[in-house]
Amino acid sequence: MTVGLNFSKIAAHSGYHIFDYTEYPSLIRGGHNTYEVLVSPDIVGASKKTIDLLVCLNKDTFELDKERLARDSMVIYDGDEFAPEGNYQLISLPLRAILKEEEAKEIMLNNIALGASLALMDWDLKYLEEIFIEAFSKKGNDIVEVNKKVARRGFDYIKKNYSELIVKDFPIRQAETKVVLTGNESFSLGSIAADCGLYCAYPMTPASSVQTVLANYAEKTGMVVRHSEDEIAVINTAIGSSWAGVRSAVGTSGGGFALMVEGISLAGMLETPLVIFLSQRPAPATGMPTWTEQGDLLFAVNAGHGDFPKIVLAPGDVQEMFELTVKAFDLADIYQTPVIVLSDKFLSESHQSLDLQKISDFSKNYKPNRGKIVAQVQGQTYQRYQVTDDGISPMLIPGAKGIFYQSNSYEHLENGYTTEAADERIKQADKRNRKLETYLKKDFQKPEIYGDFNKSEIVFISWGSNKGPILEAMKELENASLIHFTHVYPLDQGILIPFFPEGKRYILVENNQTGQFGRLLRGETGIEIKEKLLKYDGRSFWPEEIIKYVKPRRI
Amino acid sequence: MSNPEEFNRYTPTWCPGCGSWIIFASLKSALVKMGFDPSSVFLTFDIGCSSNMGDFLNGYALHGLHGRAIPTAIGMKLANHKMPVIAVMGDGGCYGEGGNHLLHACRGNHDITVLVFDNGVYGLTTGQVAPTAKKGFKSKSTPAGVIETPINPLSLTISQGATFVAQGFAGNQSQLAELIGKGIAHKGFSLINILQPCVSFNPTRSFDYYKEKTYLLPESYNAGDFRKALDEVEESVLQEKFPLGVIYETEKPVFTDGLIQLADKTLVDKSPITHLESILQDFK
Repeated sequence: MTVGLNFSKIAAHSGYHIFDYTEYPSLIRGGHNTYEVLVSPDIVGASKKTIDLLVCLNKDTFELDKERLARDSMVIYDGDEFAPEGNYQLISLPLRAILKEEEAKEIMLNNIALGASLALMDWDLKYLEEIFIEAFSKKGNDIVEVNKKVARRGFDYIKKNYSELIVKDFPIRQAETKVVLTGNESFSLGSIAADCGLYCAYPMTPASSVQTVLANYAEKTGMVVRHSEDEIAVINTAIGSSWAGVRSAVGTSGGGFALMVEGISLAGMLETPLVIFLSQRPAPATGMPTWTEQGDLLFAVNAGHGDFPKIVLAPGDVQEMFELTVKAFDLADIYQTPVIVLSDKFLSESHQSLDLQKISDFSKNYKPNRGKIVAQVQGQTYQRYQVTDDGISPMLIPGAKGIFYQSNSYEHLENGYTTEAADERIKQADKRNRKLETYLKKDFQKPEIYGDFNKSEIVFISWGSNKGPILEAMKELENASLIHFTHVYPLDQGILIPFFPEGKRYILVENNQTGQFGRLLRGETGIEIKEKLLKYDGRSFWPEEIIKYVKPRRI
Repeated sequence: MSNPEEFNRYTPTWCPGCGSWIIFASLKSALVKMGFDPSSVFLTFDIGCSSNMGDFLNGYALHGLHGRAIPTAIGMKLANHKMPVIAVMGDGGCYGEGGNHLLHACRGNHDITVLVFDNGVYGLTTGQVAPTAKKGFKSKSTPAGVIETPINPLSLTISQGATFVAQGFAGNQSQLAELIGKGIAHKGFSLINILQPCVSFNPTRSFDYYKEKTYLLPESYNAGDFRKALDEVEESVLQEKFPLGVIYETEKPVFTDGLIQLADKTLVDKSPITHLESILQDFK
């Protein structure tokens, strides 16, 4: 997997944007593993179906992926192993012979192929060599040298034997310094930037790497990263820590989220801020752990017994993931309620290149907005659940001297103590619910429109990670636009109705079986999108599929 | 100096004769003796008769979910490890619904104090069997008698790494107050199993029953001996011979000692990060 990431980093270092995507089975070793990288002069948010350069370390790769090759696609293979059939630009690279001559381990086949690929891109080996030094110098100079050497062998072999195939469209160019991040890494960095103090989780694909990234940086950031015994402990621990004044978050996938649901309701009742990262994978039950789907939207929106306010955000790409993660921590504090950040395997584990300076500047200028959370209050009359017009009560961080209160999972009076009185129940239930109205007025962000809406005949409606594939598809469609939702719950009828004037072909695009966002939109606003393009085979959309759906005859 | 009155909120709603009254008084006197006032302690209450104390006792309190008082207490302690954290639970919440949390809190030696009201029955739901009930106990949920043998909270927690394990009895207020005080003062995970009668739903466990079946550990008893402590409690539940006192006590680093992030400051006082730039360099 590192070899693909290295290719992505070198492309970014060479001045280009990348999007990469991996497929792998839920196995520790073996199976068919792929890593694909799309390189582009512009920001790019999806893979494409046609493969321009296929590296086959074995025959299976060719057999499984040949349907994605075009006539002029290049195929690197080891001619001593097999000979691909078909009308392609065939590049026979003696991978195993080189390996043998250099007395290198089999894992280094990757780096021979990487060297060859860099030669075909007309790039050089400099940055790769720096990466090797960074990665292997602790293991000894010999390891660094042998890696460099095999990459050089692959590189030179292309220069010598296939120079006519070298692509001239991607000259190394000056550009802003980029970072190459997955959605999960972006969530992690967003949490760090937002001054999250506790991240608590139980490992579950595809959310696990958030925990490992944050744990790696825990000493540097001061964050406590806890791996609890189960997801129930996870959420209750985070609630305890948030109650005590620390920005706290949890992360999981659908199954673990199911175990957290009672805790989400608790956070709603206690009015304790909480950020929940939910990275979806195909379900029900264990489903397809290493694949992608957007099948948990309605579950997230409805998670928790009873009526209480909750905010659900769904970033569409790695940049939005960073920004919305930071916003999620602010919203959780401002509204003192659970905020869910929805991702999926496709967004969580795909890399995108982002402008380093932009993120760094954002972080430098950012000040947490903790809303009505305070360290001190005046006087002795403090009431934790004071009824207010905006529904938000001042939250005193516990520990201040001379004062105390109870946060209560039972229905309670303004002072936090238990009540079963009808009028007090109504007062508190209405107070909590008013937070949603305040949110819709102050912090709800309207969907973003991409493309020329007025001129377009076709309007895609989507949310979350479909943004990338749809935008890529729109590059080939001159009459289409996209309404992209990131603030998926709650929704407001008054705000959204003007987005849907009559006379256009609206197409709902979702990576799930039943058009969950369409159902949510209809339920919350009465807006019904009849035409649906749905995919639920565990794979994200190919831009080509969207184009083909819209214009079946042209492709 | 505080006094017990300062900790009083609403008049408790426990049944007349319920052991919880005495546990409540013992806890307050322990807190007063330690010099605490209601703003100097974090409390987390489970769900059940025991945990209704949330409305009766003053303090910074989180009245949470059934079975979850332990992870909540751990979260509070991680956030502010300078505050004492006390979890008030029943036998159902601690040994049934939240049993997994108990195991892991022991092995983590989280510096929290767990008070378990052990009456062998679910009182608030009016009389179903608890995990500590004697085999054969006929309850509303086990009219033919419970098939399982009772859990042994003392051997369970000692064997899983708890560093302070005690057993008290609601009929011995002065000893109970002392045990609670020791548990709170102990640095590390402390569990105090408190035997109490339920006068409404468990006629098999009266004050008289416990008076007959409990015994004070002798002066010579060495609570620092792991093996002896396990021997002392191994058969106690099955034989219905319940020792009272500190069963096991040892010193070990607590969970937060292992977190270098918390060496200088509590998490709630941590300074915001100012160096995302340096982390970003790793992703170029």
